[in-house]
Amino acid sequence: MFEQVEAFYRPSSVREAIRLLEGGKGRARVVAGGTDLVVGGDSTVRALIDITHSGLTYIRKQGGVCAIGAATTMAELEQSPAIRGLAGGLLARAAATCGSVQIRGVATVGGNIANGSPAADLVTPLLVLDAVVVVADANGRRKLPIPEYLAARGTKGLRRSLLVEVTVPRPLGRRCGWSFQKLGRTALDISVVNVAAGLQVDASGRIQWARLSLGAVAPTAIRAGVAEENLRGRRLDAEAVAEAAEGVMREVSPITDIRASAAYRREMCRVLTRRALEECAAQAGCAL
Amino acid sequence: MKTMELRATVNGQPRQWTIAPGDLLLDVLRREGFFGVKRGCEKGECGSCAVLVDGRLVNSCLMFAAQVEGCEVLTIEGLAEGEQLDPIQGAFLDHGAAQCGFCTPGMILAAKALLNKNPHPSEAEVREAMAGVLCRCTGYIKPVEAVLAAAKQQPAKRATRKREPAQVMR
Repeated sequence: MFEQVEAFYRPSSVREAIRLLEGGKGRARVVAGGTDLVVGGDSTVRALIDITHSGLTYIRKQGGVCAIGAATTMAELEQSPAIRGLAGGLLARAAATCGSVQIRGVATVGGNIANGSPAADLVTPLLVLDAVVVVADANGRRKLPIPEYLAARGTKGLRRSLLVEVTVPRPLGRRCGWSFQKLGRTALDISVVNVAAGLQVDASGRIQWARLSLGAVAPTAIRAGVAEENLRGRRLDAEAVAEAAEGVMREVSPITDIRASAAYRREMCRVLTRRALEECAAQAGCAL
Repeated sequence: MKTMELRATVNGQPRQWTIAPGDLLLDVLRREGFFGVKRGCEKGECGSCAVLVDGRLVNSCLMFAAQVEGCEVLTIEGLAEGEQLDPIQGAFLDHGAAQCGFCTPGMILAAKALLNKNPHPSEAEVREAMAGVLCRCTGYIKPVEAVLAAAKQQPAKRATRKREPAQVMR
């Protein structure tokens, strides 16, 4: 499958990795866990750059944010006290659904984002957490809010860049709720639909802010901005949840593929959004 | 074709092999005679090709051979100490946990990785740890029983044992 590959590099720094990526003239590919790259079987690849020795495996609390190195694995996210303590463990819970033990032991945060799958299980939670992606190229480092990164991925501006880090603001405040909901045919499958949600209510049960994101129902994972806006300022009750769940169905543009029909995906957006908001409400201490 | 040298320890023996930079670990191990590493789906779905790399369970079909430079690789061939089977292998025999046997190396190595980390797992933990190895003959009940039995043979360390309902493999 990769018979045409001429070189395998193990750069020991980001700088060296970027130099190799530049030198690859578009035919070099980054390897971290390899779980998407190998299955993709791209026969145009001539050089492989293994970034798992480039100093990109870390989880650091820095002031108000949590910085996660691109080569950090799903298993490391699941087990990290910092990640388990962040937003009700939202990211740790999503990482725990990314395939089998042997996939989660090698698959990385950076790979999950950079591969660009609309069903990527970390991307929906990262959207509701307002995560920022750090990319590096020969000109230096840039920070892109994750929706901007998803839109720019694959364009000329990012072609020879390396995703090096994702930073997640550590949400503060009381009466917050967070949820990740995934629908797959089995516990290990790629998502048919996934939904992440976060919200905060005030002492009287009014929603101060709500964030909703959905995966596998559009070309990239998306935020449901209209539903979020409609929730803001409302009392968090069963009616608000039902309306938001109904509303997200108008914001998605699912397709029919091997995993599910568009109509089924749209319907499941409603179901998973309702479940997600119910879980958020319970965590925020609201009886529906 | 371009080649490169790979140095790794396989089943305790230092090895040096000439490989192509794009070779997958599965292909190299089988080429070198480790036929206990099974070629199944080649997409990371079935777990038949699973091996331990520095103690971590991986699907060798999804890993480039060059990634194990300097690492310790354990295949099913390296698990027994001479004639002395690993307790997990013995338990698989005692419980009749293999039928055609194709998934057995992956199952046993998945169990090995689990017990190395967590010597006294609950049934739910065993099922979770082995969920990435698919059996198409007999199912999972006997393999799970075998792993729990192997765990019992190990010296007890934890006073309390969590038991949770099975969730992953049905």
